[in-house]
Amino acid sequence: MFINLEQAKNLIREGRILHIAAEESLLNQLPKGKWIGGTTPYFITEQGGITSKDKLFVNEIASAVDFKTAVYDKSNIFDITKDAYSNGITFLVMPFASDVAVFYAKEAPNVDDLFMYPIVGWISGFDLSTDSSAKVYDGVTGISYGDKAVALHICLPDDKTASIGIVNIFSVNEDDAVIEFKEDALSVTKCLVNGKEVVFSDYISENKIDTQLPLVADYNSVLVNVSIKSVSKENKTVDFYAPVFSGKEYRFARSVNDYAASFTEQLQGFTDAKPIFSCNCVLNYLYGKLDGKATPPFAGPVTFGEIAYQLVNQTLVYAELIDK
Amino acid sequence: MDLKLQKLIRKEAEYKSTNLGLNLLISRLQRRYSINPSQAELDDCLQEIKAFIEKYASIMKNDIEAIKNL
Repeated sequence: MFINLEQAKNLIREGRILHIAAEESLLNQLPKGKWIGGTTPYFITEQGGITSKDKLFVNEIASAVDFKTAVYDKSNIFDITKDAYSNGITFLVMPFASDVAVFYAKEAPNVDDLFMYPIVGWISGFDLSTDSSAKVYDGVTGISYGDKAVALHICLPDDKTASIGIVNIFSVNEDDAVIEFKEDALSVTKCLVNGKEVVFSDYISENKIDTQLPLVADYNSVLVNVSIKSVSKENKTVDFYAPVFSGKEYRFARSVNDYAASFTEQLQGFTDAKPIFSCNCVLNYLYGKLDGKATPPFAGPVTFGEIAYQLVNQTLVYAELIDK
Repeated sequence: MDLKLQKLIRKEAEYKSTNLGLNLLISRLQRRYSINPSQAELDDCLQEIKAFIEKYASIMKNDIEAIKNL
């Protein structure tokens, strides 16, 4: 629900268990309670995408039978699976460019028990037209952080289980060049293109590749995007918003002419979905000009990275509760 | 079932689920085993995927049947 400050305060005072996304000045005014939050001024509401500094996007986790919040840094972020309820779901929010977010991005896919516990969430952000910074909030203590992650661990009733899904509007052409990397990295100089080593930044410029398109890898039929953050011709480096991994084959995504239409097409199979949470990527919002455009049945914050167990990019992520 | 799961981990069989967690897990175990294709690694990977399937058995009946028939 996309509500004003007083409405959000009332929900907190009523003892509701909440996940909240909003601009920093609003989150700073919330009372302590059963909530976590993160900063973003961008949202895709049921009425469409909007930049707002006077409303908050709130998800109430009404079916929780218990909850706890936790704060993590780089040294203990993977305690998240130990802290999670056996039958539950964990909402995780991490500040953009924080050490903990970078560490989680790179290491999560290697954590043994990661997929045993549904973890969904996002990377908090800020108004790109300002020089503000990303924050996360533990509503139980009322403390905000720019360098730590917060989690809301939810215990579900025995007859429910959590399911996490993604909606990716990007696809690949199997005939396109295969790009591979020799190590897990958030920044690279070289890569293999169809088995031949090249300087990746040169390859991008020589082939006039649109870097608004992500690299895409196939994870057992799930297409996972890695977005390009920057290309430095000077330093010959390419930086990513999520890591690339050795042993995975990547291709650049096909171009998308109309993001809103692509989402509409992809979302036709989700008419019966009842998401308790969703978020979408700020790059989709910006590149796709989603301002004013809705993505039913999904609504939520526009984020600087999305978490569906592991960090993904340029992706809509959602969580549902389903009957066992 | 163990043999079918081992085939999946060794990429000798293919199974695409509608469950995001299972797909990501299969992909992760395939990558892990390809880096270290030893019996011990295979056993570890097998235990991990069995634990996942056991935990989510109530919502993975179709997956379990399909994997048995690989």
